[in-house]
Amino acid sequence: MTTLLSLEGVMRVYQNGVKALDGVSVNMERGELVSILGKSGSGKSTLLHILGGLDRPDGGMVSFEGRELNFRNRDEIIMHRRKRVGFIFQQFNLLPSMTAIENVEYPLIFRGVPRSDRHSRARVLLEQVGLSGRIEHYPKELSGGEQQRVAIARALVSDPLIVLADEPTGNLDSATSAGIVSLMREINRERGVSFFIATHDRDLAARADRICTIADGRMVA
Amino acid sequence: MSAMLLDHLTLAIRRLKTRKVRVLLTVLGIAIGIAAVLGTVSLGEGIRMQAVETIRASSDLTLIEATPGNLDGTSYLITPSSVEHIRSVPYVTASSAILKDSYASQHQTYLPVIGADDEEISKVLDLRVETGRMYTSGSAEAVLGADLGEYLRRYEGMQIGSPFPVMVREYDDEGRPRDREIAITPVGILSPRDDRYDSALILDRELVAAEKSGQQGFDAVLIRTGDHLEVAEVAGDLRELGFSAGGAFEQIEAVNRFMDVVILIFAIFAGVSLVVGGLMIANTMMISVYEQTREIGISMALGAAEGDVMRMVLLECLLLGIMGGVAGIAASLAFSSVLNVVGRPLLLSRLGGEFSGLFGDSLSVITPPMLIAGLGIAIVLSLLSGIYPAYRAARLDPIEAMRS
Repeated sequence: MTTLLSLEGVMRVYQNGVKALDGVSVNMERGELVSILGKSGSGKSTLLHILGGLDRPDGGMVSFEGRELNFRNRDEIIMHRRKRVGFIFQQFNLLPSMTAIENVEYPLIFRGVPRSDRHSRARVLLEQVGLSGRIEHYPKELSGGEQQRVAIARALVSDPLIVLADEPTGNLDSATSAGIVSLMREINRERGVSFFIATHDRDLAARADRICTIADGRMVA
Repeated sequence: MSAMLLDHLTLAIRRLKTRKVRVLLTVLGIAIGIAAVLGTVSLGEGIRMQAVETIRASSDLTLIEATPGNLDGTSYLITPSSVEHIRSVPYVTASSAILKDSYASQHQTYLPVIGADDEEISKVLDLRVETGRMYTSGSAEAVLGADLGEYLRRYEGMQIGSPFPVMVREYDDEGRPRDREIAITPVGILSPRDDRYDSALILDRELVAAEKSGQQGFDAVLIRTGDHLEVAEVAGDLRELGFSAGGAFEQIEAVNRFMDVVILIFAIFAGVSLVVGGLMIANTMMISVYEQTREIGISMALGAAEGDVMRMVLLECLLLGIMGGVAGIAASLAFSSVLNVVGRPLLLSRLGGEFSGLFGDSLSVITPPMLIAGLGIAIVLSLLSGIYPAYRAARLDPIEAMRS
């Protein structure tokens, strides 16, 4: 196995003085499905945002595939977001004016992928997440579980190295949650995509290859 | 690249569709601004065209009178060699060097005298003799303008073919007039032409020169050009040669200068409504950026760069501008035709029949370049108005934006 990412002593202090991350160090192998367990406010979202290039650390080092990420270089961060990561959110965050397939295609527009190509890739992924019958539905016509499946397909559409999931089952009932977790496990196994899943749900975390626990911005053994 | 732009355009149209009413109001705002500017400019252009037509119809536009002038501190007299020079100016079709003087009849009627070569002046002024014949060169014969001939015949007993004494008015050293009598023979009266030559006495140039001792060169050169469009060019050339150039065309130049100022002032006032239109776009886009904060944040998380976000906002502005511009053009065309169909008869009925020559067939004139300019202004305005909202959108923090 090769190292996908490593964090060393990552700090993030907000302007109001809150230390969201207080020296976090984590390593992740390629193809691993890691869950990060912590209460709300423990810093797990901040960790995901930094890994996804949406936030920047105030100290420490973040490396992907052995190379340090330079958070000051906007172009590098944009390319990092486009090429390496896919996001899944608690609120699903689908665009309400677009159908399921258009939502899945959307990230590819910023990557300059031609329309026909986008369409076929999105269709394959929607089939894989079990929504082949609902590709022309709008988000409001889909259940929570279905919306999250669309979001998973969207996270995968740009062939990322890692999917960063922030409380992916936080808005779903337990039966649906189980289905979503199974889907992520299945995709991880079949496609070899790494998953980094932030959750406060111990049952969900238990299905990961490895569990990291975070509290008050520090990793707990 | 263009396919990608098309994708962004499709998305922008869809976003606009989600707020139809506000888009409609904004588009109306721009349209009214554009229509107001185009409407006032077209009205001004219409008035300009009518004024020029009126002058053109009533005056001899292709005639220029070149007189001695000044250029860079040097005086330029009209000498035989400068007459040759003037003849070689492009578009000059005929010319006649003239001497001017003023005589008086025995009853003290003022007689403006023009001394010229008979053939040259006939050609330049297109003289038509109504009664009698043209004078011959080297003689003391003369032709009279229609008004002058009529007057002298009626009140002073002048007869065609009979000698008629006239006074050459000179002034002595103390400035007192001193008249000297000479005899000329009127041989013809010209057709009426509605200009100052109707009251002129036209003689052979040698005769006038002999009576006007001590002058070098000529007083003026009358010049004929091909058509009224060439006049300005010839006048420009003459001025460059150091001569003054005058004629009815100067009225058109004056009207054009005046109308340029009037139209500019009109347009500035109408432009205020354009500024309002621009502020409306800025406002609409600020609200729309605010409303779409979450979508923008999501887009950034999904890989949209700041430039992509700016482009999203500016494309919406571009679409608003194009719609507003097209609607404004349509409104101004409608306004203009209403003005011509309804406004013109109304105005004429108020002013009375004698003004029917004014406002020939249209009160308001819209030209294709004006329409293109209208659309261009709408587009530029909308993009300018979108810069700040676009900048604000691009600077959003994706995490904060997604939380909203």
